[in-house]
Amino acid sequence: MTPAVHIEGLVYAYPGGVTALNGVDLRIEHGERVAVIGRNGAGKTTMARQLNGIAKPTAGTVTVCGTDTAGATTARLAASVGYVFQNPSDQIFAKTVRADVEFGPRNLGRSAEETARLAEAAMAATDVLDFADHHPYHLSPAERKRVALASVLAMDTPVVVLDEPTTGQDHRSVRRIERIVADLHAAGTTVIAITHDMDFCAESFDRVVAMAQGRVIADGTPAEVFARPEELELARVEPPQISRLAAELGWADQVTTVDGFVEELSRRAGGAAGAPGA
Amino acid sequence: MIVFEDFTYAYPTGSAPVLRGIDLVVEEGGFHGVVGASGAGKSTLAMAVAGFIPHAQGGEYAGRVAVGGAVVADTPLPELVTRVGLVQQNPFDQISGARFTVREEIAFGLENLGVEREEMARRVDAVMADLGIAGLADRSPYALSGGQQQVVAVASMLVMRPEVLVLDEPTSQLDPGGARMVVEALGAVRRSGVTVLLVTHALELLAEHADTLHVLVDGEIAAQGPPAETLADDRMEEWGVGRPRYTEAAARARRDGLWEADRALPATLGAAAAGFRAAVRTEGGRR
Amino acid sequence: MSTGLSVYRGGDSFVHRLNPVTKLAFVAAVVIAAFGVDSLWWPALLFAALVLPGALWAGVGRRFVLLVFGLIAPFLVILFLLQGLTYPDPGTVLLELGPLAVKTEGLLFAGTTALRLLVMVGAFVLLLLTTDPGTLMSAMQQAGLPPKIAYVVAATMQIVPSFQARANAILQAQQARGMDTSAGGALARGRRLIPLMGPLLLGALTDVENRSIAMESRAFGAATRPTALTVVPDSAAQRAARWAMILAAVAAVALNTLGVL
Repeated sequence: MTPAVHIEGLVYAYPGGVTALNGVDLRIEHGERVAVIGRNGAGKTTMARQLNGIAKPTAGTVTVCGTDTAGATTARLAASVGYVFQNPSDQIFAKTVRADVEFGPRNLGRSAEETARLAEAAMAATDVLDFADHHPYHLSPAERKRVALASVLAMDTPVVVLDEPTTGQDHRSVRRIERIVADLHAAGTTVIAITHDMDFCAESFDRVVAMAQGRVIADGTPAEVFARPEELELARVEPPQISRLAAELGWADQVTTVDGFVEELSRRAGGAAGAPGA
Repeated sequence: MIVFEDFTYAYPTGSAPVLRGIDLVVEEGGFHGVVGASGAGKSTLAMAVAGFIPHAQGGEYAGRVAVGGAVVADTPLPELVTRVGLVQQNPFDQISGARFTVREEIAFGLENLGVEREEMARRVDAVMADLGIAGLADRSPYALSGGQQQVVAVASMLVMRPEVLVLDEPTSQLDPGGARMVVEALGAVRRSGVTVLLVTHALELLAEHADTLHVLVDGEIAAQGPPAETLADDRMEEWGVGRPRYTEAAARARRDGLWEADRALPATLGAAAAGFRAAVRTEGGRR
Repeated sequence: MSTGLSVYRGGDSFVHRLNPVTKLAFVAAVVIAAFGVDSLWWPALLFAALVLPGALWAGVGRRFVLLVFGLIAPFLVILFLLQGLTYPDPGTVLLELGPLAVKTEGLLFAGTTALRLLVMVGAFVLLLLTTDPGTLMSAMQQAGLPPKIAYVVAATMQIVPSFQARANAILQAQQARGMDTSAGGALARGRRLIPLMGPLLLGALTDVENRSIAMESRAFGAATRPTALTVVPDSAAQRAARWAMILAAVAAVALNTLGVL
């Protein structure tokens, strides 16, 4: 089975000479939900940019949905990888939100009806239908971020890369993004997110890849990765809020989600006696 | 220090008021937080304290906003900016571009105010020391990380000796390391006696440092009080604000009988840990 | 040290340490002299005896040569072609190329203009290579340059590079949505890039809004006369030298006009 993403021995150096990626090996199967974490400068975004060909390897290979990125243009890889950039203002350019959301599917060769349908669905999922016919300039930065997400969702690609999707977003938006990730996963889409938000990471992703100094230093489930203090230190990353609470309580078992915490608490408190519907 | 009396405001382009009947008081030296969903009116509130509303914006303005006794609408903006410092979201946009080193960037405001050179140098060096950025003095502001740039922005305001510092989502575009830098800077701000009004989504930060939280919902204040109370409120989810994760955990635990029924929901990590230890010890704290 | 549109790399020569206004006066003096005196050899002398040695003394010779000739080269070609072939009558014809004729006067004119350009560009490049932009701005403000003009120059230098980065990011974002930028001829490619001006301007406008609020918060444009944190060192000797250089240049032009030089 071809993996969604296969990176082998990836080395990347900027034109100026700085090596940003020092030999990355990573294999992501179709349908996985992967969060990439690490401090700024660790190589997360640099690696993500290899996936749709914006950056090409200096050495090693990057294969996405069976295509070697070295020989393919970004426009061609866009059919496989939808990339939501961190700064929505870089991406949005049409006169109305709807026109912008339709840009992607149109470029990918969808028919007019299909484009309209995909755009409508994407705008509904990101709750921007209310401004579908507004000019993007009138939207707040948070709203623009949702439009940027909608434009990529409308492309209906097998792989979606989210670059800091929850940064600067309010609570409702974060919940919405968690739902979108869950829906994408249910539909079989491979979701890769670069994030600083450890709570979001733990709640929405099955696999966490931690990077530091251009290399992968940890790769596993959230529970596995957040239980490794040395690697977390290297990656300059703090575990999710709820894990810190568990650590504060002296629990040895790794807890990374609120549900997981309550389950563990229930277990330690001696069973679910008295708990409704348990 | 900051007083809002029945303040209602609509932008010149908008039809409906963005803020309605706001009554809010921040005592001198206090550290208050303002939370709310996007579009609830938080930034508008911040701008109303700093005076850009109404002086730079126009619009329909009713009610009274006063800072240190001076009524904002009646005080010219050049005077207001010496009383109220403002730190915005985007680190890059707050670098003036007029100066080439961090020390000069911080001094820029004092230069514009015509402060005498020796005093200026003293104040700039003191602020840099207080905020721990003396090592950045000769670097270009454009060569700093986002977090460092925000601390420089705080320094640039603090050096002007304002009575109030308003921060509008200062950490929302920063990574956790940068956010931590800003939090530490706020500690120094607090110690200097400046009154702080912080608009933010970072609930955990407010839980640890704020005296009072004001919750804005659709332009009105839905709740205000100490973080321990407001962050534990069950309506925070429907208000679009949410709660810290451990507060959520406690709320769920309480439903399952695993959190003492008469114990308040925790707003800080410490309170959560104490409560859950009790829960495990007394097997759910029941009977 | 600063980033942005600056060629300055630091240094400690006598030239580096001169007050920027003195260096500006030098630029003004040699430009006045080069353009005011009607002679082919005069600008050549100014360049060879004053400007180039200045660069060598400051230790920036290599970069100086690269920058100056890099900037001038395209103009030289056009200059010689244009003036050389289209000098108005009458003139001494050297070579005939159909309807066009290469005249001595044309070549002389082109040569003089080229050398004058060399002096002007050379003097400015020497200034920029040996002067920290911040120091330059401070010195000019202390000499009376209006703060608003100084601001526009300084901010442009520091903010324009971010435009280039933004423009690139915008292009990549559209490619990532399937826009094929390589297909079609130059015209098609150009047309495709036009709508991308939107985000660049939109971003710039938002930046401007936020920055103007930040500037207002820093009391920019306040009624009082601004003071300065850093004093750029100056001396009576430099002040005298500035006047002397300008006077010498004006005298040279006057003498030349009177037919003495």
